[in-house]
Amino acid sequence: MINTTSFSYNPSEHEAEKASNSYLMSLIALIAGLPLPIINLIATFIFYIGNRKGTYFVRWHCTQALLSQFSMLFINSFGFWWTVSIILSEEEITNKYIAYLFTALIFNLTEFIATIYTAIQTRKGIHVEWWFYGNLTNLICKSK
Amino acid sequence: MKKLILQSFIGVLLFFSIWFALAQIDWVSVFRIEKMSNQTEEKLGNIFWEIIKKTEKENKNPDVIATVDTIVNRICLDNKIDRKSIKVHIIEKKEINAFALPNGHLVIYTALLSNSDSPEELSGVICHEIAHIELNHVIKKLIKEVGISVLISTTTGNRNTEVIQETLKTLSSTAFDRSLEKEADIKAVDYLANAKINPNGLANFLYKLAEPKNETTKYLTWISTHPESKERADYIMEYSKKKNANYKDVLNIKTWNKTKEDLKLTSQN
Repeated sequence: MINTTSFSYNPSEHEAEKASNSYLMSLIALIAGLPLPIINLIATFIFYIGNRKGTYFVRWHCTQALLSQFSMLFINSFGFWWTVSIILSEEEITNKYIAYLFTALIFNLTEFIATIYTAIQTRKGIHVEWWFYGNLTNLICKSK
Repeated sequence: MKKLILQSFIGVLLFFSIWFALAQIDWVSVFRIEKMSNQTEEKLGNIFWEIIKKTEKENKNPDVIATVDTIVNRICLDNKIDRKSIKVHIIEKKEINAFALPNGHLVIYTALLSNSDSPEELSGVICHEIAHIELNHVIKKLIKEVGISVLISTTTGNRNTEVIQETLKTLSSTAFDRSLEKEADIKAVDYLANAKINPNGLANFLYKLAEPKNETTKYLTWISTHPESKERADYIMEYSKKKNANYKDVLNIKTWNKTKEDLKLTSQN
């Protein structure tokens, strides 16, 4: 799921710190923004905008952090509005709904652990590429 | 690029597979989520009906019962509704009202019968109430108004008379949500059309009730619980236009007149 590869150059200490912060940003926002799933996406996006003119290593990791938030946004928003409809309308709690919550929890937890791991590794200057998101980032983020 | 598409496909597939697999577990019973069982509904229906039976006078005139039964039988038969599931009760009252209770109890006040100008009008109101029963609106309304825990505790020995009285009042004299009323109206037109009864009767009844100078206004409970009569009558007319126009009489005129006379006599006594 997580692939540690070598980057095209050795990032400096300052770059590693910034890149690592992009992941931390999404984690902090996730805790602060619960239960509204859009908060962490907004926070990561702001961080991405702030660093879009940074070095390649920083840009690359900001992009990966941002992209990983998108799929979580879909999963969590769906769960969030499903819950709202149960509270406010006549929708009932079903096995499907509880199963969805557990699935969302599994995906969120996986993303959470991966984010912590990546934040630690990138802080050490190690380049970490996620499954799917790594390839997608490679496609979007090019070295100038 | 191909690898990326394949990975995204696997990702989506993984999500739905996990969801599907987890959905096979009966979480509702694992977490003991309170659900309204048929037994609870049956008990609730009986509790409410017992109260009405004790406090109100039932009309036992065989002609009146036969008239209402003929209409209900025809509606149930042509709509594949189990006739035994609908328990009709006719109550002597000056209020123009009809309402549904849990477990298929349908209460009709005599004033509603005597203020219906045709069997089609009465059939329309009956169909509307049966629709509330069949669409499970009664329980939905109860859960919304008093909460599921109160309902369950009511049926499990903890009988708070005041709460039961209040709940019964809610059922007999407050409206359903507008969306539920519309759903019941549309379903009622379907029932009427299937039974080959002219749905204009229901619309006429509503138009009649919408008239401000109607002399029976002060007894119009059904209208206060069913607001926006004119608007409803309009969409009922509109919807019924799409239906088959080959309607047949529900009752012959003699039977209907006899019922009306019986009702007049009972109200004078």
